[in-house]
Amino acid sequence: MRTRPTTRVAQYVAVLAYLIFLGFPLVWLISASLKSPREFANLNPTFLPQSPTFSNFTDALEEQGLVRSMLNSLQISVATTVLVLIVSLPVAYGLARLRSRLRPITNGWILVSQVFPVILIVIPLFVILRQLHLTNTLPGVVIVYMVWSMPFALWMLQGYVAAVPRELEEAASVDGASRLRTIVSIVMPLLRPGLIATAMFTFISAWNEFFFALVLLQDPELKTLPLVLARFVGAEGQVQFGPLAAASVLATVPSLVFFAFLQRRLTSGLLSGAVKG
Amino acid sequence: MKKLLVGFLAVGSLVALAACGSGNDSSGDPAPGEKITLKFQSLAFQKTTVAASKKIVADWNAAHPDVQVEYVQGSWDSVHDQLVTQFQGSSAPDIIHDESADITGFANQGYLADLTPYLSQETKDAVPAGVWDTVKSGDGKIIAAPTLLQSYVVFGNSALLKQAGVSATGDSLTWDQLQADAKKLTTGGKFGLGWGLKSPTATVLNLGMNFDAAFFEGTGRDAKAKIGDAELEVPKRIHAMAYTDKSIDPTSLTQSGSDVLPGFFGGKYAMVVAGNYTAQQMVEQAPKGFQWEVLPPLKGTSEKQAANPQTLSVPAEGKHIKQSAEFIDFFMKAENLAAVGQGDWLIPTTQPARDAIQKATGGKNGWAQTLASGTEMTKAPFQSVENYPKWKDQIATPALQEFLANKTDLATLGQKLNDGWGQVNS
Repeated sequence: MRTRPTTRVAQYVAVLAYLIFLGFPLVWLISASLKSPREFANLNPTFLPQSPTFSNFTDALEEQGLVRSMLNSLQISVATTVLVLIVSLPVAYGLARLRSRLRPITNGWILVSQVFPVILIVIPLFVILRQLHLTNTLPGVVIVYMVWSMPFALWMLQGYVAAVPRELEEAASVDGASRLRTIVSIVMPLLRPGLIATAMFTFISAWNEFFFALVLLQDPELKTLPLVLARFVGAEGQVQFGPLAAASVLATVPSLVFFAFLQRRLTSGLLSGAVKG
Repeated sequence: MKKLLVGFLAVGSLVALAACGSGNDSSGDPAPGEKITLKFQSLAFQKTTVAASKKIVADWNAAHPDVQVEYVQGSWDSVHDQLVTQFQGSSAPDIIHDESADITGFANQGYLADLTPYLSQETKDAVPAGVWDTVKSGDGKIIAAPTLLQSYVVFGNSALLKQAGVSATGDSLTWDQLQADAKKLTTGGKFGLGWGLKSPTATVLNLGMNFDAAFFEGTGRDAKAKIGDAELEVPKRIHAMAYTDKSIDPTSLTQSGSDVLPGFFGGKYAMVVAGNYTAQQMVEQAPKGFQWEVLPPLKGTSEKQAANPQTLSVPAEGKHIKQSAEFIDFFMKAENLAAVGQGDWLIPTTQPARDAIQKATGGKNGWAQTLASGTEMTKAPFQSVENYPKWKDQIATPALQEFLANKTDLATLGQKLNDGWGQVNS
């Protein structure tokens, strides 16, 4: 069926409007990062900076350990993402494929675990990690983030595994492939979009997390990016808007790079026509 | 299944036992030749204050090779939750920076050390008794050293004041005079006063001290609400200026303190009432050529305001309480306190430090009036009331917002403040 030209134009306009809507906060952030303190206090604020300045970026980078904190966040986020995927994938596969009475109980627990408020578990968690000498260490934070992200990752991956037709695995089995070979050669490639979506979720959760890092990390050398960003907010609601905006722009770059790298691999439709409908 | 359950129980018990088995050696003095390191978590925010705080640490470290202080940059954001966890986990920093209202609860739970024996007489004498009261436990122990204070002051647009013939001289500015000046300055679509009262409770209760407003009688959970004419005086006056005189822009009452600054700089308001630290934003953000000044301290029956100082304290489980307290005493020295106060545009709690700022600044940029506004600061009754934060958030703030939006009358406000205390303190 051919699309009418007017419909096509309307589609483009809608997509453009949506892109503007999505992109506005980022453009606003970049604009704010280039404004001087005086422009922030202008009674008639302008969308674009009147006399752009990079001093906010200089201030933000001079702020104690911004680059160091970005590297810490990057290490933590990548380690958490990789470990969550390694641990979650076999468990999700098992939950999706095996028929057991444990399955509904496990799924129920995964859901229930999401409703615990952070503040409720942070003290016992802190005490346990301290006994294990894992407070004030990056591995300690990675473990916490893994535990925190795992339920949702499991939930997501389970859905993706369930969407892979059993018939494909049965066909591989008939062709003589072992269970492991079937998983590696048949299931894994088909799960790629699911793995990438889960990786994105886990990475962003770890990249943005504030509270656990605040409580667990005391060494200035180990502080993560959200902790350093919080320093631009003082007592009594005072905020250093310019340096905060500049630091936030810098903070979004790794996420954007990560997304740009992964989204090209986030293809779907691999399963279309894989089995007879 | 049974084996699995037993296994889980065993692991759980081991972890619990390990958690309970922690202990701290609070013996105090280090062994001869032993070098100790104290962690000082500072919440300093302004670049200048961070630099001043680091210099204090460096000076201390140079003079005390065996007792080194490590500067750890903290943040005001979520500091309370961080400290709750650290106290529970016995891992709080050796020297804690926080505000007095926040640490009172920790002190009541026994988490903070008694600094009374360690602070020097010089420090004890330099801070007014009313400010010491904000950092004393029920039995009179000093649980923190008060460092910096903020007061509420009136900022004026010098050109507009001069144009209207309003002169801000004298030792104080009475509320009647403020109202009259605001009225005089309200002309040509411009308002005499802009007042960011989005979160009005702290302002109303602190400035209420001008009229001896107590709001509460008694302490702890036994406190009773006391809402009379004195307590309603400040909101009544603000309301009258906004809706009778129309000398306060009513829309400004819904904004935060810093939200009204663009209007002040743009000449929309001739005066604003804000925390004295706002002076720094004036210096950084005011358009070139904009002249501003701080008016003399507001006065009702007195110039009193509630003191909620920033503090330095030491955990009761700290391993080196004496050395930590000695560092705090060093921090409290006039030149040190003056440096951090000047950096943060906050008022030092000690007179010698105030004198040092007066000397260093020559009283310019509103420092003379700002320092004067801190002279009568004292502990307010609400600072001894356990459920005050709950009352503030759930009762007082919405009730005051409604009243300042002209949606309820004064009697209803009083009723809500009074009855609401019964609800949150039951």
